[in-house]
Amino acid sequence: MRRLRALRPVEVDERGLDVVSFCGHCALPPAPVGSAAPSRVCGHCGLGLVLQASADLAPRRDEPFLVIDTTLSVCAVSAAAEDLLGIDETHAVNKHVADFLVPADANAPSAENLLALLVEVASGSGEPRSTVVRPRQEFGVRFKARIGPCGPPHAALLILS
Amino acid sequence: MRTLKTSEAAALLNVSPNTLRAWERRFGYPKPQRSAGRHRLYTHGEVAALRDALQQGLSISSAISRAREALSTDTHTLVGALGGFELDRADSAMESALALRSVERAVEEVLLPSLAELGQRYGTDSAPWAFAARWADGWLRRAQRVAPPPVRGLAILVGDATRNELDPDALAVRAFELFCGRSGARIMALPVGGVSGLSDVVESVSPDAVVIAGAHLPDDDVALWAYRVRAAAGPLPVALFRRSQHGAKVRTTGTRMLPDPPFAAHRQLLAMIDDRQVTRVLEVAAVSVLDADDERREAQG
Repeated sequence: MRRLRALRPVEVDERGLDVVSFCGHCALPPAPVGSAAPSRVCGHCGLGLVLQASADLAPRRDEPFLVIDTTLSVCAVSAAAEDLLGIDETHAVNKHVADFLVPADANAPSAENLLALLVEVASGSGEPRSTVVRPRQEFGVRFKARIGPCGPPHAALLILS
Repeated sequence: MRTLKTSEAAALLNVSPNTLRAWERRFGYPKPQRSAGRHRLYTHGEVAALRDALQQGLSISSAISRAREALSTDTHTLVGALGGFELDRADSAMESALALRSVERAVEEVLLPSLAELGQRYGTDSAPWAFAARWADGWLRRAQRVAPPPVRGLAILVGDATRNELDPDALAVRAFELFCGRSGARIMALPVGGVSGLSDVVESVSPDAVVIAGAHLPDDDVALWAYRVRAAAGPLPVALFRRSQHGAKVRTTGTRMLPDPPFAAHRQLLAMIDDRQVTRVLEVAAVSVLDADDERREAQG
């Protein structure tokens, strides 16, 4: 009986990897719900919506990340990314991602590469990739970034590490 | 307009009441009104717009931005209607604004911003502005006529120092009068330009406060009018509304400057009158205690 109760449907992505849920603000997985209908709003912080991504991409707790849509507008900024980049989600939302992050020159020859990658991933067709970015107007600071699809709706998840 | 209590709004959004209050602090949305008992009352339209946006959103911020955009369509509709000289469509735009908001918010969030946009687009000396300003003035006066009767026992005398109904400040003054009237105060608006027979009117109204509103008339005219009012009614609290250009002179007289948004101005004025009434009650109570002490001493002596 105990084993049966532990059974639950597992979602997988196109590559057969587990899809996991996380909060778009605090990155925690959603709290387990009882009989009530699950809410899209994170039950831990109440400041983010629950998103999904493949297990190899999803951010770990305290990993800074941004969510970007196909128009390259910032849709969400995690609490850790707010601290790291010194931006406030309420001001960053609907602004172009290039207002905050640009490719690190040594690793990407032009900005189009990063933006094209984000558009491709945000439309749900790309696989997770890695690149290097830096904050706009700041030199000597670089972050490794994992970029992959998340949603719903379709968007690109950019995790800084 | 349908309103929801915190628990009802939270249930509709499938979040806890604490989350709803946290959103109000962080995002300023949804923005509740307060009931007579100071409890939060959310407009159904705002909450429903947010619920729909949350289904499609990637974050609370983006959902709120989308919900705000959905609500701002009333402003676009009103600007379009007045810009196209369509009175019926303008009335309909205000009706739909009222379906989602209180009268106060419909005026502050839809009517006044729409008129401000038209004023910027065409200039306040243009025919389209005159058309829109006359319509808005008529709408505000109609709303004032159907406001509930005064219940607070307060009377406010408004000295109107605007040029006429085409003065950009005149609409804010009408909105301010409407909000005060809807809060249960009796409003008497008189032009600052006319002082003949003023004392009779002031004596019959016996105002609790005087507001001088508008920046068109010069300080000398305003000073004469205020002097006549004071001569008839005695010392009264005087506040200035939309008269910031003349602030430097006025500050020395201890007159209170009200904020520019009409809703905030009316709240501040009512608080000012309430404070004064409390002080007056305390003074009367203190005098009564002193009188009683005197009587007791005389009786003992």
